[in-house]
Amino acid sequence: MRKMMAIYRKEVRIAFTTPVAYIALSIFSIVAGFFFCRLLADFQGRVMVAAQTRPLALKYLNLTDDFFTPLILNVCVVFIFVVPLITMGSIAAERRFRTHELLRACPVTPFQVVMGKYLGVMTIVMAMLILTGALPLLLAVYAKGAGPEWPSVATGLGGLFLAGAAFSAIGLFISSLTKSQIVAAIVTFCSLLMLWVTGWAAGDSSGLTRDVLQGIGATEHMRNFAKGVVDSRDVVYYLTLAVFFVFLTQRSLTARDWS
Amino acid sequence: MIEVVDLVKRYGDIPAVAGISFTVGRGETLAVLGPNGAGKTTSLLMLAGALAATSGRAIIAGYDVFEQPLEVKRRTGFMPEAPPLYDELSVFAFLSFIGRLKELARNDLATEIQRVLSVCGLTDVCKRRIGNLSKGYRQRIGLAQALLADPQVLILDEPTIGLDPNQVAEVRTLIKKIAVDHTVILSTHILSEVLQVCNRALIIHHGKIMLDDKLEQIITDYGSLENAFQQATRE
Repeated sequence: MRKMMAIYRKEVRIAFTTPVAYIALSIFSIVAGFFFCRLLADFQGRVMVAAQTRPLALKYLNLTDDFFTPLILNVCVVFIFVVPLITMGSIAAERRFRTHELLRACPVTPFQVVMGKYLGVMTIVMAMLILTGALPLLLAVYAKGAGPEWPSVATGLGGLFLAGAAFSAIGLFISSLTKSQIVAAIVTFCSLLMLWVTGWAAGDSSGLTRDVLQGIGATEHMRNFAKGVVDSRDVVYYLTLAVFFVFLTQRSLTARDWS
Repeated sequence: MIEVVDLVKRYGDIPAVAGISFTVGRGETLAVLGPNGAGKTTSLLMLAGALAATSGRAIIAGYDVFEQPLEVKRRTGFMPEAPPLYDELSVFAFLSFIGRLKELARNDLATEIQRVLSVCGLTDVCKRRIGNLSKGYRQRIGLAQALLADPQVLILDEPTIGLDPNQVAEVRTLIKKIAVDHTVILSTHILSEVLQVCNRALIIHHGKIMLDDKLEQIITDYGSLENAFQQATRE
């Protein structure tokens, strides 16, 4: 435990003394902030149009469905771009700069190394979640009484946390396969993107194929969280991905470096 | 203290280390010599538990390197060639990271770091970032991390390569000081270094041991270490 925490502290310290974490968090805030503004402007536009043309339709518009759900889905897409930046160096850089030789000569197991690194990555993901949480808070301050529904905000953020956990595990695993951070980033990005768009293909198919594609794709699983619904299937989906890929990373490290 | 039996490392069909056997007693300082690509670094990496062997056995301080790697790593300090360090960390942060991995107790950590800092002459730079320090300092930080937790066995891969003459002298003096109460294995291809620091030499060529003897004996038999090296590594 103490050794895992030592690795964790080292990861966080390095992430926040180099530009990596700051760049990732800046990109994240800028892009998520852009989506926030666009979606809010869009929602406001629809309210105005409805008020002028069909006042009765106003009651069908609400902040959660028409603003918050798409915001969470969009933020999840931003994760697909930012998570590879955070995970790319985790293990690839140790190998590139040979620092893994130091780790291997210390009485530490691959599991402790992987868990320490995973927690380090998750800390940055948590920072992104806090930044995301600031967006509905901002809305609550200015909307005065007509703010977001907090339970939906909580499930949305919970869903993002799970997605972040799954994406980070995938990124960590890919980083453990190469020496090159760029290769790790590109492959992670493509893998996450494929995972995200697989669900889209479900629309064109039917029967079992559709169910399978929907089951694999990350989009559908996020949609429920974004709507404020917690379905155990979605939780299991993201948790399984996270645990499976952390396990694979541990295996990969054991096979490549610790044997 | 160290017992190596028929250690082999193959990369595909190419043997990097082709069955080496030797023993090192407590308090001995052994030099592993050989031309480039002889298998020195590979052998040391295997002894440090940082690389798996294809076959063979290595026992350090009574523990099998491949069966009980954690027990061995608790008792050895390893300094890799041109020591890889985390450039972003300060010297102190780096050493406390390694100290924690080496299971130093919370209360002993600071004292132990102060000890190795002063042994390696790093006290003045302990707050500086490693990335901003010269090669000589980096080499000493590599040595300092190996010395943490006072291991019984030290494995040093080319500890003086790339240093200026003053730094070379400093590091050699340091190793001699440490060797008094530790078992040290160091690899090098600087023969004068061996004469100054070690009491035994092992010459490896093409992954095989060509010569293994006490220094005095080698000099009696061959006239000089240079002669012995040339004869042992002749194609």
